[in-house]
Amino acid sequence: MESYSYVNIFETKGLEYLLLICFLVLFVVLVRYLSAPKAPANKPKT
Amino acid sequence: MSKQKTLSSEVRAFLKFLWSEMKPRGKALTPFNVISVPIMIAGLVILVIRFTKGLGAVTNLSQDFPWGFWIGFDVVTGVAFAGGAYLITFVVYVMRVEKYHSIARVTVLNGLLAYIFYAGALVLDLGRPWNIINPIIGNSFGYNSVLFLVSWHFLLYMITEFIEFSPAVAEWLGWPKVRKFLHSLTLAAVIFGITLSTLHQSGLGALFLLAKSKIHPLWYTEFIPILFFVSSIFAGLSMVIFEGTISHRVFKDRLEPGAHESFNKIIFGLAKGAAISMFVYYFFKALIFIHEGHWSMIRDAWGLWYLLEVVGLVLVPCFMFAYGVRHRSLGIIRTASVLTMLGIILNRLNISVIAFNWNAAVHYYPSWMEIVVTLMVISAEIWVFRWVVTRMPVFGPSREFAFTS
Amino acid sequence: MNRRDFFALTGTAALTLATKKASADEIPLKKEFVGVLTDTTRCIGCRACEVACAEANGLPVPDVENDNALEQPRTPSETQLTVVNRHNTDAGEVFVKQQCMHCWQPACTAACLTNAMYKTKDGPVIWRPDKCMGCRFCMVSCPFSIPKFEYHSWNPKVQKCTMCWERLQQGEKPACVQACPADALMFGMKRELMEIARVRIYRHPTKYVHHIYGEHEVGGTGWLYLSAVPFEQLGFRTDLGTTPYPDYTREFLYSVPIILFGLPALLLGMSSLTQNHEEEPDEGIHNE
Repeated sequence: MESYSYVNIFETKGLEYLLLICFLVLFVVLVRYLSAPKAPANKPKT
Repeated sequence: MSKQKTLSSEVRAFLKFLWSEMKPRGKALTPFNVISVPIMIAGLVILVIRFTKGLGAVTNLSQDFPWGFWIGFDVVTGVAFAGGAYLITFVVYVMRVEKYHSIARVTVLNGLLAYIFYAGALVLDLGRPWNIINPIIGNSFGYNSVLFLVSWHFLLYMITEFIEFSPAVAEWLGWPKVRKFLHSLTLAAVIFGITLSTLHQSGLGALFLLAKSKIHPLWYTEFIPILFFVSSIFAGLSMVIFEGTISHRVFKDRLEPGAHESFNKIIFGLAKGAAISMFVYYFFKALIFIHEGHWSMIRDAWGLWYLLEVVGLVLVPCFMFAYGVRHRSLGIIRTASVLTMLGIILNRLNISVIAFNWNAAVHYYPSWMEIVVTLMVISAEIWVFRWVVTRMPVFGPSREFAFTS
Repeated sequence: MNRRDFFALTGTAALTLATKKASADEIPLKKEFVGVLTDTTRCIGCRACEVACAEANGLPVPDVENDNALEQPRTPSETQLTVVNRHNTDAGEVFVKQQCMHCWQPACTAACLTNAMYKTKDGPVIWRPDKCMGCRFCMVSCPFSIPKFEYHSWNPKVQKCTMCWERLQQGEKPACVQACPADALMFGMKRELMEIARVRIYRHPTKYVHHIYGEHEVGGTGWLYLSAVPFEQLGFRTDLGTTPYPDYTREFLYSVPIILFGLPALLLGMSSLTQNHEEEPDEGIHNE
């Protein structure tokens, strides 16, 4: 009655690493965007 | 003899001072008073009914929805908003960033009052509140419970925050020696407080780990504790921006000259912190979404509701904060902080109430009496906050000891 | 199945049935958990168990003859610790009795911060009024939504089936088991009940689905069910998994002492790193 099939619980891992890389790149962009304001006053990172 | 006499006269003068401080100051008929006093009276009446006739008489709680608005909003959401206190004390006392020093005291006061009132609202929701001493005095320690941890942390954190704030009380009472002693405890209290906050902010989320079979899969994840902790960062920061903006208007006369400009600079720093923490939070959300393979779930109404919370009220205000920092726009930052707070409210209510037992036949919604009691709790907190800031040196440097003998 | 196997199996069943009675007096001494096996193929929907339960627990006794309660699906409530529901399935009408499952590792006891929800040494999960503060976290956590709260009382109780814990201590069976005229309920050690349940499945392989609900669900429950139709058709939750519920908070609670010790140390280290050596440590909670 019960059947068994192999379940790969890490199926989405590749996609997750891709997401990680994208977000790392975007994070650098965001931090650069935040720490170089148009106004002359350059603020230290919080 | 004479010494005794001076002592007793000093005590008398001190009591007289306390009595004079108890009296209300300022105008009686402010719009806030006109609104809040009837709410508080109505709330007290409702509470009398609640404690004599049972919770069912005033709330819409049911067997399917044992936790409603009082837990979901007052406690779970209120504590998230109180997260500003541990963040600011971390930045000021551990990282020693002097820029934020001027808002440390008011933030700690806000945190302390939030815990007293919002975590205190938990007592209103307890069916058998007289047994609340059981997990405290040790005749039945449920170590195995996340709620045991959370309630102990609430208690300890209130004491910690009071120690952090106590130098202001000592200044108000004119006790320089006591102040010096209390002040020496500050760093220890701050470090202990941050640790406690980390654990109970995440612990509030961990409560819902046991509701695995009831929470909609878009919201249930084993990472709820981490998500709660990370979101408490920007919840706290947004609250500091929001509350600070209001305080700086209402208590203008209590501020030092120049405080307004320095506060605006502080807002930009806070907004930057909020933008970064929200971006990290959004990444966590996206990662969990992909790992769990929830693609098929975002098509129905629940999916849209989820997207509203995660994209509309996290990612959008995150970019608004960034834009506001970049373009030096306070207006955009303030709007973003309001949106962020809405997002936090939505997130906490989703997990505790809205997406909880989402497939139940009859869904819970709060009764008007539950909302009135919540408004009563908020009003009472604001009353106490106002009483404290108009008497104790909370905003900016202390000028003089209020009571000198 | 050949004849010899058949006799062997029935022999075991008869033996376990015989020993069951003898061991009832020794329950408090045993370290084994007790349970109840519900055979839904035998239940005739007479609701004698509901009546017995209400009488044993001092709750309003349902008027079984006239109340037509089977027409509507019900759940156990604060006034009815057990209910029987009628389900229309592939195999026709099936009656299912519902009550607390008496999990082996209950979510409610892991949730309870005062140990009011208590797993007794013999297996039944009971509620202790002198401990409970009414936070209702047990209700939030229970995967079967069993604990019920008296919302309309100033001194509310949390109501749930206790497997007649007090009767068990006097060597009696639970009231519902005692009352069942159709032999649909059987009380005993879970290990023995499992054997009996398996015997029934082996003897009637086409009559029963080959699954004993409660064997592994949420880590195993004290109450077991046999059925002729898949359990989904009987309103059972089959998506609960086999992980005991307390396991879901294990990692978090494990990390608590680690954070409580590690984080202050880390923060103290950070604080001494940022300390300004020229000046004394900062003054006051604000600028002075």
